[in-house]
Amino acid sequence: MQRRKASVNVEVKQVIGTLCRLLTATGLDAVPTPETFRRAKFGGGLEVEGQFWQLLTNILQRTGVISFEAGGQPRGDSEHRKAVAAGLRQTGCHADWTYGRQTGEEEEGKSFSGRDLLLALGWLLATGTLEALLTQRVQQLDKLLLTPLPVVSLVSSELQFDSSSLRRLQWLVGCLRHQRRILLSMLEERTRKLHTICSASLSPTASSSSNQSSTALKEDCDRLRQLCDLLEAYLNWKPVENVFWTWMDSVMDCHQTPSFAKESLHTPSVCQHNSQRPEKCEDMLMRLPTAQTCRVRLQGKGPVRDHSYTAENFQGSVEPSDILPASQASQLLLQTEALLLQKRDRLRLENRLRLQEVIGELEGLVLIPP
Amino acid sequence: MSVVTLQLGQCGNQVGQELYDVICSDAQDAQRRTTHTTVSCERFFHQNKHGDLVARAVLIDMEPKVIKQSMKKAADSGRWRYGDDSHFSQKQGSGNNWANGFCVHGPRHIEVVEELVRREVERCDRLAGFMTMMSVAGGTGSGVGTYVTQSLRDAYSKSFILNHLTWPYGTGEVIVQNYNSVLTLAHLYQLSDAILVHENDTVHRICSQLLNIKHISFSDVNRVIAHQLGSVLQPALTADSHGVYSRNPLGELVSSLACHPEYKLLSVCTIPQMPSSSIAYSTFSWPGLLKHLRQMLISNSKMEDGIDWQMRPPSASERTRSLTGASFNTSLANLLILRGKDVYSAEAGGFEDPALYTSWLSPETAFTRWNSPVPFNKYEKSATLVSNSQALLKPLDNMVRKAWNMFASRAYIHQYIRFGISEEDFLDSFTSVEQVISSYTQLCN
Repeated sequence: MQRRKASVNVEVKQVIGTLCRLLTATGLDAVPTPETFRRAKFGGGLEVEGQFWQLLTNILQRTGVISFEAGGQPRGDSEHRKAVAAGLRQTGCHADWTYGRQTGEEEEGKSFSGRDLLLALGWLLATGTLEALLTQRVQQLDKLLLTPLPVVSLVSSELQFDSSSLRRLQWLVGCLRHQRRILLSMLEERTRKLHTICSASLSPTASSSSNQSSTALKEDCDRLRQLCDLLEAYLNWKPVENVFWTWMDSVMDCHQTPSFAKESLHTPSVCQHNSQRPEKCEDMLMRLPTAQTCRVRLQGKGPVRDHSYTAENFQGSVEPSDILPASQASQLLLQTEALLLQKRDRLRLENRLRLQEVIGELEGLVLIPP
Repeated sequence: MSVVTLQLGQCGNQVGQELYDVICSDAQDAQRRTTHTTVSCERFFHQNKHGDLVARAVLIDMEPKVIKQSMKKAADSGRWRYGDDSHFSQKQGSGNNWANGFCVHGPRHIEVVEELVRREVERCDRLAGFMTMMSVAGGTGSGVGTYVTQSLRDAYSKSFILNHLTWPYGTGEVIVQNYNSVLTLAHLYQLSDAILVHENDTVHRICSQLLNIKHISFSDVNRVIAHQLGSVLQPALTADSHGVYSRNPLGELVSSLACHPEYKLLSVCTIPQMPSSSIAYSTFSWPGLLKHLRQMLISNSKMEDGIDWQMRPPSASERTRSLTGASFNTSLANLLILRGKDVYSAEAGGFEDPALYTSWLSPETAFTRWNSPVPFNKYEKSATLVSNSQALLKPLDNMVRKAWNMFASRAYIHQYIRFGISEEDFLDSFTSVEQVISSYTQLCN
């Protein structure tokens, strides 16, 4: 906690500034200021919430998770927010407040603070939305960008070394080599055009001489500048990203600290799953032998149920020490996942061997693997 | 995207001039859509400061006469011209000797030629590749042409090189034409991406039987070659071009037809071809044209006259027995280019029959189709088939056989040894060409 507090300093503000510039460069309108982010951490107010609602809406719309009808304007704020909540659930963010109906409609708009929205934004960024936005924007700006076409592979997974397969392979290799050369020549053309644009933009007299081509050049130049700004913003963001995530950790901590819990007394936690879910999940885990060890280890840190911070937990009955920090929990889950994957692979191998034995016993039957 | 053409030797310079003429008159034909014209002009011409269309070509010959004629003809047309200083010639020819061209003239003048090519290349926004045009019979086209192709391959390793070769009359124009042909083909096979061949014999027959020309001159023959080449090279909509004219004609041509290093020989046939006076009175339907073209392909006739209508694709059982279906022309890959009215209504399913192709390539890979709604060279509808098939097997085999017979008695070999081509080099070349013949023979297995 000390470490986290120490990292929340002026630097954070700059880092959030970097993020804001990057978000703006990806073409999002109305990105909140770093100060708004800070206020959101401490709950913020209606104004802060409004800005984050807007940002989340824009992001979800741009990534195609939600879309509003042709009119563009949702029927009302509540409809609008419901759509955003549904969009968030689609992206895997199952915070309680996103289940508006279950938490009570009348509480909507009050049942959460700006911090929930900030955490939701964090979730979106952590799940690769930023990169998706970036890619989308780069594709818009870069007209010469090559999008890989799906290539139909004609080579079957079963390698055959007869002469016709070899010839087919030689043909395909030749085809690839030709494609490579076509791509290289496209790159060359692109470089040449860039050079033309750059030299045209450097000499204003040259660009003013030819009107028609200069407008096209200016547009191209403008697009390229935007592209450069975008990529630069991303490059600036990448090395300092960690600072932001440490700060987001501290936002999470605010949720868990009782002093803040008072503020959001009726606020269910953001990583709260539906109340039946942990039980179901627990049942499922119980059936898996590997998971049981994990469960035991989780219990060692505190009861598994406590891992889902329900609203009651915040009402004072549970000591903060019982709460497993998100980072540790995620680590445990990752370990469990790895173990389960290992187990699955082993089982698959066993199954395959068994299948091969069975096949071996069946004479005259030829099975072609998919 | 632009194609730089290298015209080499007498034949190359004459065919090249006809090609540019056909392309330019076709592109500037009245009532044309502008995109087609723009793309075509960008592909083959640049504009000089007076606004004239200047061919993206380099003219090379060891004698000045033909280059002068070609440049004059171009300038006289009033539509286009050659660049004033994009030609290179010498006083003395190569004496129909491949070795003289390849070992002496080529190395001696390559720097000047490279400089001319570099200047043309720098004029292109984007270089689609090179097309060299030459005959294989003489000395300059074949010998210098091969040497220049080699230097192009070194200098522009990423660019596509399409060699257009004119094969001599079987009866013989030059006594050593078969030597020259074998040496050229053997070397080009290693350097070129694809070799597009026109046989003088075939074109001559087209002139006499389809175009009803009484006294056939080289100019008539060249015009037919130019027409066929033009119908391949003019802008078309390809599967990869997403509704705009393909910008990489050579790349797409080569990618669809010649991906395998052992199979690079392409032949062309076009339908319809008729005297220009008859065009106005003729109507054509796509099904009729394509039915003819398909039969021309499988029976290996380059003309719509005298097609063997009995020829049928061999069935699977016949194919395994092989050799019985020897006269059936098996294809490795085909490219069908349709130009003209209602082009999208044309049904080309007949070319997707697996029986037409070798067993190891699926028809989906082997068959490609390009379309252009713009008619070509006054024909309301025209279809051109570029085929990588066994079509050239027979003339190639004849050529090698005759050359080998001469070589067996060491006839004229000393003329080649004099310029630095040893008997070993000859044997190597024979081996490579025999390999090509063997590869194409195995296509029907």
